[in-house]
Amino acid sequence: MVERTDSNEKTEVYKPSMASRVRVVWRELRKSRLAFAGFSIVVFMVIVALFAPIITPYEPTWQGPSRRPPSMQYPFGTDGRGRDMLTLVVHGATISLYVGLASVFVEILIGVAIGMFAGYFGGLIDDILMRVTDIIMTLPTLVLLIVAVAMLEVRSIHVIVLVMGVFGWPFMARVVRSEFLQLRESTYVEAATSMGASSWRITIHHILPNTFSSIIVIATMDIPWYIFYEATLTFLGFGDPSSASWGVLLEIGYYHLGTHWWIITFPGLALFFTSLGFNLFGDGLRDALDVTQRGR
Amino acid sequence: MSEFLLNIDDLKVYYFTLEGIVKAVEGVHLKIGKGEALGLVGESGCGKSTTAHSILRLVKKPGKIVEGKIWFENEDLLAKSEAEMRKIRGARIAMIFQNPMTSLNPVFTVGSQIAESIKLHQNVEKREIEEKVLEILEKVGIPSARERMKDYPHEYSGGMCQRAMVAMALSCNPNLLIADEPTTNLDVTIQAQILDLLRALRKEFGASILLIGHDLGVISELCDKVAVMYAGKLIEHADLATLFKEAKHPYTQALLESIPRLDLETERLRVIPGVVPQLINPPPGCRFHPRCEYVKEICRKEEPPLIEIKQGHTVACFLYGS
Repeated sequence: MVERTDSNEKTEVYKPSMASRVRVVWRELRKSRLAFAGFSIVVFMVIVALFAPIITPYEPTWQGPSRRPPSMQYPFGTDGRGRDMLTLVVHGATISLYVGLASVFVEILIGVAIGMFAGYFGGLIDDILMRVTDIIMTLPTLVLLIVAVAMLEVRSIHVIVLVMGVFGWPFMARVVRSEFLQLRESTYVEAATSMGASSWRITIHHILPNTFSSIIVIATMDIPWYIFYEATLTFLGFGDPSSASWGVLLEIGYYHLGTHWWIITFPGLALFFTSLGFNLFGDGLRDALDVTQRGR
Repeated sequence: MSEFLLNIDDLKVYYFTLEGIVKAVEGVHLKIGKGEALGLVGESGCGKSTTAHSILRLVKKPGKIVEGKIWFENEDLLAKSEAEMRKIRGARIAMIFQNPMTSLNPVFTVGSQIAESIKLHQNVEKREIEEKVLEILEKVGIPSARERMKDYPHEYSGGMCQRAMVAMALSCNPNLLIADEPTTNLDVTIQAQILDLLRALRKEFGASILLIGHDLGVISELCDKVAVMYAGKLIEHADLATLFKEAKHPYTQALLESIPRLDLETERLRVIPGVVPQLINPPPGCRFHPRCEYVKEICRKEEPPLIEIKQGHTVACFLYGS
């Protein structure tokens, strides 16, 4: 059973405090070493991204001797223009994490809304929305992104984020829809209806919270994909050259690949570990958030 | 219109499926007086739940109420708009369901769910809601309610979930409580507790109860009157004592003989052979005739009308009356 620790808190008595819910999920999460490792990586990356200017030894624009291998002075080496790679990778984390989180936010807004309407109302609305979803799903994402970004002609990181979010929602919408389809038949929805709740209230208040765990898990797992896609776009020359994301660094490193291995290696490792971290964390969250599994 | 709280008149509910029209409820008449408890009995699939759902207009697609009238406190429920129905659901008619464990939303605490139904129908201040929730949970016998109201449904046992459902249903003082097999999924001791609870609450709140079940034993614990349904039709209606002493319809008699009883020396319990007929193509004549041991020629051809053989005792069978 779950321990009741919030009896002395001054919130409305019948409501569980947010803190106690987080505590429960946290305890479940710690049970799995992999999930905890993923969580640690994510936390580490977020801290690095938030405090980039404080952590880094140099300014991102600072230039010293070029193409130096890793040393005590330059732990990750320097690039062709003499910039410190550690500084660039740390500042890249800020941009890449922003890309991941912002794109997922757009994805959630669109995906959940569409999935919700399709799943709850069903019928013709469902058919139309799901065919649109199918069409976007069948299109190759990368090509779609390249075309969209090239057509917009605005080389801004925010535009790229928006475009990726706008094309990234179909899977989210499908999962939310399938949960709504299942949950609207549940006894507690019937019970809520019999107590006089409106269909709007049932959708938002009764069914939607039951899909939160799926939404959070998908969102967590999708974050590295957006970081990847942004890096790929940048690498292919469709990125925002003014923001030094990991993709930009990879592109720089690519030109020095044969001679100066460190320039591409460290941004690549940062990307790899971030992706790994979010995936492990997402997996762990899926287990930890499963409400009915709790307390066994 | 009448002194009855609920008056169902010639209700017909059909399900329009791809295989055909399922006539789940075919001309049912029911009356429940103020403070009365009526038991609605029958096998699975005979239309008792559909009848109950019709009262709240909760019949799911492809089901549809095609005919009849449902009068509640002299208002025609079938003429109400959806918005008007919402004001009645939970406030004046409440319902409890078969599966207590799944009737509560797993992501909210039990207390907050009861609080929600109070908020929906009553103008109560925030602080008072909390006290009300506590009061009602204590009334339905949740131990240390102040702590347990913060628990999630999965931390409750089945019996406690059903108590919480009863609490939610009674939170707005409804005049009619529909209980759709409230004890079916509970074990026998808990079953008895829930029935005791309903009986006590009926006295205290004065609500009428429509208890749906397939077990005449359970029905007899709570109800004053019993209506028996078979294959979408009402076949017998009497007060409890009459029904137990002198059931007339062969189906009712068979149902009674299938209850285990300590006071009678029977070797084996009665089993009614066969199953409830498919309601897409119900048998002609009396719907029970393929399973009936007293079947006569007329039973295969004509439908028996519901006739009153005694004050307050009606039956639909050709064995009786003219």
